[in-house]
Amino acid sequence: MTYFKDDQEVYQYLGQLFLDLLADEELAPKFRAANTIVQYCYHNPESQITVKLMAAQEGQVDLGPTRLEPEVVMTMDADTAHRFWLGKVNVTVALARGQIKAKGPVAKILRLVPLTKPVFPRYKAQLQAAGRGDLAEV
Amino acid sequence: MTGFADERQMAGFKDFYQFSAPTRVIAGRDLLASAGFEFAKEGARRVLLVSDAVIRATGLVDRVAEGVTDGGLELAAIFDAVPQDSDGAVVAQIAALARETGADSFLALGGGSVMDSAKVANLLFTHGGSAREWEGYYGLPRADDGAGRALELAPLACIPTTAGTGSEVSFAAVIKDREAHVKYQIGDFALIPRLAILDPAATLTLPPALAASTGMDAMTHAIEGYVSRDWNAHADAYALHALALIHANLERAVHSPADESARGNMLIAASLAIVPTTSGALGIAHSLSHPCGALYDVPHGVANAINLPGTIEYNAAGGDDIAARYRDLAELLGLESAGEVGQTLADHIRGLVVSLGLPTRLSQVGVTEAGIPALVEGAMGDACTLVNPRVPTAEDLAELYRRAL
Ligand SMILES: [Fe+2]
Repeated sequence: MTYFKDDQEVYQYLGQLFLDLLADEELAPKFRAANTIVQYCYHNPESQITVKLMAAQEGQVDLGPTRLEPEVVMTMDADTAHRFWLGKVNVTVALARGQIKAKGPVAKILRLVPLTKPVFPRYKAQLQAAGRGDLAEV
Repeated sequence: MTGFADERQMAGFKDFYQFSAPTRVIAGRDLLASAGFEFAKEGARRVLLVSDAVIRATGLVDRVAEGVTDGGLELAAIFDAVPQDSDGAVVAQIAALARETGADSFLALGGGSVMDSAKVANLLFTHGGSAREWEGYYGLPRADDGAGRALELAPLACIPTTAGTGSEVSFAAVIKDREAHVKYQIGDFALIPRLAILDPAATLTLPPALAASTGMDAMTHAIEGYVSRDWNAHADAYALHALALIHANLERAVHSPADESARGNMLIAASLAIVPTTSGALGIAHSLSHPCGALYDVPHGVANAINLPGTIEYNAAGGDDIAARYRDLAELLGLESAGEVGQTLADHIRGLVVSLGLPTRLSQVGVTEAGIPALVEGAMGDACTLVNPRVPTAEDLAELYRRAL
């Protein structure tokens, strides 16, 4: 059993979270300071979110196919991503166990990890608001 | 399992950890002559010997080359041009040489740069591609669509000529991108060398200043490994004994280079001290030091020697659970710590650094106040920051740099 039944659900929930983050006046500049393009390749269900985080430019989130050329590629089960945004995944452990695979200048993304803490309750609230409180129970 | 943030567990039974230390180590005297005999047991037949010009000039390369052939192995070629900081071009050159000469294995004789070059050359030799394409952690090819066993590289043996980086048993390699002025890491279990030969004869020509700085790198690994949020019981065993050996041998190894027993014990200490890093256990002394190397060419061990004391004071003030871990170390070092343990330990290390003849301030090695923002930028983004026991802000790191100036 996976949390998301298809790629559309991944985009509806995780995708929406990225869109919200990059629209947030306080958080967006901090994430854009990473100066990179990161692609999250999810399995189960197969899906892909590509995020442009460039300091001097508008953020961009592509759900599914993209023309952006990622510098960092993070590969994981969609469930792992979901649990991460609920604050249930230790990234260094997940990398060491191979639950998250990272390619490219990973430090650019790891530096964002401490910034994600305030996002956890936001993701939970977003799921509840969408009537998917069931997904918030992991 | 926890998220990041302030939930840390510095004692007790952990929800999860992973530990690996698979390298076969042989340590002792007169081992260079049996390099081939030992390496044959790891499947080597035709060896590419990787080293640098400085080591070659000491005569060590010839001794080891003789040891290789004496053991019945063939010597495919000798590459003795690894630079001070390994880079993508040099590892590609080594991999190509291995192919051209029909080598089936790599023997690294040198310090961190030589060993890291051999590791990454082996990766390119086995799996192709360029070094930069492999940047990252745990990204090497695995069986079963990436879910299975890491695919083996060709046999790699290391004979360290410095007692510091511990690269001879570690899972990572650091490579410099000369155009981008950054150093990047490749880390995965398959990179861990199969054999490490620890013979003090390989470090006898190491000058005292280098013995001191590389030794302080090892000490930083032991201390940061023990007081990382990714500490674990297996790694603790390595860190604590490493620190005991460093305490007993580092000063002698620096001041009496001919003291074979001190130099030999420092080799052992360095290879013990690095092991916790394979579990991810390090901290912000390393985060602070990496950009000093990248932006100011401060040698890694020198930067750690300067940054370690302030890091200890800062971390120890972050909670009783962290201070308790430092107290274990202070006790092991026989330090009286009636007051703040962080202060006691930091003062001890400052005294040691002075006695080793190393610089104690960043301003002595070319770092300026104006450079601090760029250093902080690098340190905040360093993976070691994530595993530090106390979560630093950018301002915390800036203050640590200012105090170390
Ligand atoms: Fe180090």
